[in-house]
Amino acid sequence: MANTIIEGLRERISTAAKINQSVGIIVPGNNYSELLEAIFDQMFSTNDIWTYVTVTKPFDSIIKTFPNLSDHRNIRFIDCISRAAGISKLYPECIYIESPTMLEKISMEIINIFHDANVEENINKYLVIDSLSALMIYNDPETVTEFFYHLINKTRTENIHSISLVVEEEETNKYLNKIIFLNDKILRVRDSFI
Amino acid sequence: MTYMVSKEEEFCSTGIKELDIQMGGGIPLGSTVLVVGSSGSGKTTLCMQFLINGAKRGERGVFFTITEPLFKLTKNFEGFEFYDKKLIESGMVNLIDLRIISERLGLDAEKYTVEDAGALLDILKDIAEELNVKRLVIDSITALCYRLQTKEMIRDFIFKLGTSLAAMKCTTFLTSEVPPRTFRYSQYEIEEFIADGIIFLGDVDRRGDLIRTLQLIKMRGTAHSRTKFAMSISSKRGIELTPLLKS
Repeated sequence: MANTIIEGLRERISTAAKINQSVGIIVPGNNYSELLEAIFDQMFSTNDIWTYVTVTKPFDSIIKTFPNLSDHRNIRFIDCISRAAGISKLYPECIYIESPTMLEKISMEIINIFHDANVEENINKYLVIDSLSALMIYNDPETVTEFFYHLINKTRTENIHSISLVVEEEETNKYLNKIIFLNDKILRVRDSFI
Repeated sequence: MTYMVSKEEEFCSTGIKELDIQMGGGIPLGSTVLVVGSSGSGKTTLCMQFLINGAKRGERGVFFTITEPLFKLTKNFEGFEFYDKKLIESGMVNLIDLRIISERLGLDAEKYTVEDAGALLDILKDIAEELNVKRLVIDSITALCYRLQTKEMIRDFIFKLGTSLAAMKCTTFLTSEVPPRTFRYSQYEIEEFIADGIIFLGDVDRRGDLIRTLQLIKMRGTAHSRTKFAMSISSKRGIELTPLLKS
């Protein structure tokens, strides 16, 4: 049953991200791990280029959850919290940002990854931001709003599809409400759906 | 801002894409540019990247260091991917310890006389001419000016150096040391008036973290941007810029 639901969720994300340049996903906190599984299933199932920016979980924790991650050369990670949290185990396949406050550096690394990939036109480029809610914890809301405005514009110019997550408990935050609607499409994951 | 039409032969490309764009293609050839910043702001890295990028385009360069010995300087850069040792070995980038040159010339007094300053100026010009350099760095002009006794001597020294090098179409970077988080461009408050350009390296505090910044204050001959940029220094890419978030 759980697999069927995650598969359904993966399908929704896949379709929405293909059609739209930018997708915002609002997820209830207690269904965050299912959503993550669906996103990773989607990343594993394609040859597209993916960049996953984590502000929520350290890369070390992600790779423990998905041990075969290293086999997928089309997926790159930017970890924004491990160094700030003093986590000493660092992996060469991941780019570590000193602190989640260094938003400009995050943008630079995202664009560099896609430029370095230098892919053919038929290969899609996807960016996952996990999550806008976590970025709000470490930064002033106005700064995150400005960052996201620029990021959405930059990714559009570079023909990169973006998927941004917002954890629902914090969605009442007026800034999150404002920026999530910058996306072309909003997916609201309901408790009942999961 | 309005960008000037770039003619490659009239500009000296720093090789740092975003910086060149902000100046409409690069620094006007033969300019003297003050690279201002406090300790650890990235002045030396910017200068070295400027020289190495020039050498990769076939432009010979020279780096005069006063603040640190050559072995330390080269060791610090070995980790950077842009730093190509072969360019040093082949003489495309020349590293010279100015303190050793000064000692050999007998210029080891605490304070220089006008004649001493003239002799130093001549040797700098001679080296630049002999090596036929198109890019020159003095790191730092603050340390050099420390030995010049008056503001007039400082003005005269920088003016003559800049004029001679401009005649050779040699673009010069002079690093200027200032205390952290101060909005001034030089120690002696004279250097910035003679320089054709000023690149200011600073930082902004964001929740206790320091974000490096770069701002073009002045660049004669270009309609340059005055936007503040966030600057990243990494071993893989050296210096990179992106507009600083305003909030």
